[in-house]
Amino acid sequence: MILALEGVSRIYGEEIEVRALDDVSMEIRAGEFVSIVGPSGSGKSTMLGLLGILDLPTHGVIRVRGVDAAGLSDADRSRLRGDAIGFVFQQFHLIPHLTALGNVETALLYRGLSPRQRRSRAFEALEQVGLGARHDHRPVQLSGGEQQRVAIARAITTQPGVVLADEPTGALDSKNAENVLQIFHDLQTPDRAICIVTHDLHVADSARRKISMLDGHIVADEQLVRS
Amino acid sequence: MRRVREVIGVAVSGLTSRKVRTLLIMLGPVLGVAAIVAAIGINESSKGHLKAKLQELGTDLIVVNASAGFGFGQDPVIEAAAVGRVGRLPDVVAVTGTRQMSDIVTVPFAGAEDYYRAFPVPVIATGLDLPSTLEVPLVSGRFLNEFDESSGARVAVIGRDLADEYGYLRGEQRTIELNGLEYGVVGVLDYVLLEPSMDSAVFVTFRIAVDDWGLDAPDPSRLYVRAPVNTRLVADEIPVVVSLGGPDGANASVPTDLLDAQSQVDESLNNLTKMMGGLALIVGGVGIANVMSISVIQRSSEIGIRRALGHSRGTIAIQFLFEALVVGVLGGIVGAGVGAGVVWGVAEQRGYTMVLSIVGLAGWALVSVGVAVVAGLYPSTKAARLEPLETLRLG
Repeated sequence: MILALEGVSRIYGEEIEVRALDDVSMEIRAGEFVSIVGPSGSGKSTMLGLLGILDLPTHGVIRVRGVDAAGLSDADRSRLRGDAIGFVFQQFHLIPHLTALGNVETALLYRGLSPRQRRSRAFEALEQVGLGARHDHRPVQLSGGEQQRVAIARAITTQPGVVLADEPTGALDSKNAENVLQIFHDLQTPDRAICIVTHDLHVADSARRKISMLDGHIVADEQLVRS
Repeated sequence: MRRVREVIGVAVSGLTSRKVRTLLIMLGPVLGVAAIVAAIGINESSKGHLKAKLQELGTDLIVVNASAGFGFGQDPVIEAAAVGRVGRLPDVVAVTGTRQMSDIVTVPFAGAEDYYRAFPVPVIATGLDLPSTLEVPLVSGRFLNEFDESSGARVAVIGRDLADEYGYLRGEQRTIELNGLEYGVVGVLDYVLLEPSMDSAVFVTFRIAVDDWGLDAPDPSRLYVRAPVNTRLVADEIPVVVSLGGPDGANASVPTDLLDAQSQVDESLNNLTKMMGGLALIVGGVGIANVMSISVIQRSSEIGIRRALGHSRGTIAIQFLFEALVVGVLGGIVGAGVGAGVVWGVAEQRGYTMVLSIVGLAGWALVSVGVAVVAGLYPSTKAARLEPLETLRLG
């Protein structure tokens, strides 16, 4: 078990409370390919933020590699997040003044690696997504699909146990979306889980496990059989 | 150590990626440090120059001006007998009287009257030992002598600037016209630091001043007195010796005291400029805080992604603090360089010897670093407090 939510609630607001997530429990295990679907406001992005310990729950426990994340200091929680979890976002969130290699290297900073080791590992990750030749290009010189592949390289270069992706194909045309989805499938290994939040049913149905959400609750958690 | 290098690398990369913005935030510390360094440097160089000037003039020269006792007379003078009395005072080693005359048009050649009427040249009747009393040499020829005085010869000595203006060549046989009367030029007096107006003056004897220009008596209106010891005491005695209780008055002063006073004035000006420089530094600091705060908002996505990648709040804060530190260091160095350049320029232009303390330069550069770091505290704390979830705008 890589990630686990135990009775987690996330409530926003004080006078008027909004329960974005209400008493949710779930686990993500190594090697799983999970999709989380649901209409807007169903709580799927809130759940992704909590799974990635970018946010903390109002009630309940988040365990990352078995450790209660809320009990850690910010520095320890950040280190745990950097080691265990990789992120891919809909808007790529690449740093505009850095090259593709520089963006991937950012994930490897403050880990005691030499600049040479950093460059070599970042380059390896770019090769894995087929962008080794474009390592010195800045985001503005790359297409949307290529930028998303750089973001995926950045997410996997630290060799995390799980990659959390928020609408990773949302800003792409169908061809690039298909390419990116294929890369996610290729990245799934027995040691690495993939968890994608999406509106796209095609993406959701390509997963092995689909979690459906509504009004802050998990309404279905099903294993999909792929033909 | 590797971590520090990485933080510096990230900070430098953040700054170099937005060069114009970085240059703009650096302007504050640059201007502040440059102003302070320039103010101190110019003042020190000017003080050095004044000290050299004091050395050159000597501190034992007294200038005595005639003043009208009880408000009588439009053109006060010191009677010739009083000059003798001053000369006999103990500690006085030399005394020379001068009197500037008015309404004399001096021209280097016939036909130049119109110009020199508009820009008159001072004509000064003087005692014969003016060069030795003022300790100023002649650059050409000789000064007025006993023979010129006793014979009433129409001869003149001219100041160095006037010689240049008239195109006077060293040793040249030359005459100039004073209200149409021809005077032979017998010498050129070197620069008189104490009385720069003498550099463009014509000097004649008292005898010819009486004969040609209608002076009632060879009475000077100003005395130059050399008293190597007890200078100030002698200066205090002179008005009494001149007037002897009569209506004629005199004011005695030691000009080097004025230079000292001038140096004090420069000190006040220097303090004012230092304060302005300090203010510029503070404004620069506010500018850094302001621009960096805006930058934090603009770079919220970058901050969010760094947080998602595992960088802690502390690391983000240190990254922004380092950016401020780099701005302070570069601003301090460039400001010190600009300030030193201004001091050099002013020293060159005014003929000073450039005086600049390296320790002072380093000190003010460090102040710039301090201001930048303090200014960077707020934006870096603000950056560290940003919630990654808010900046990344999920789903």
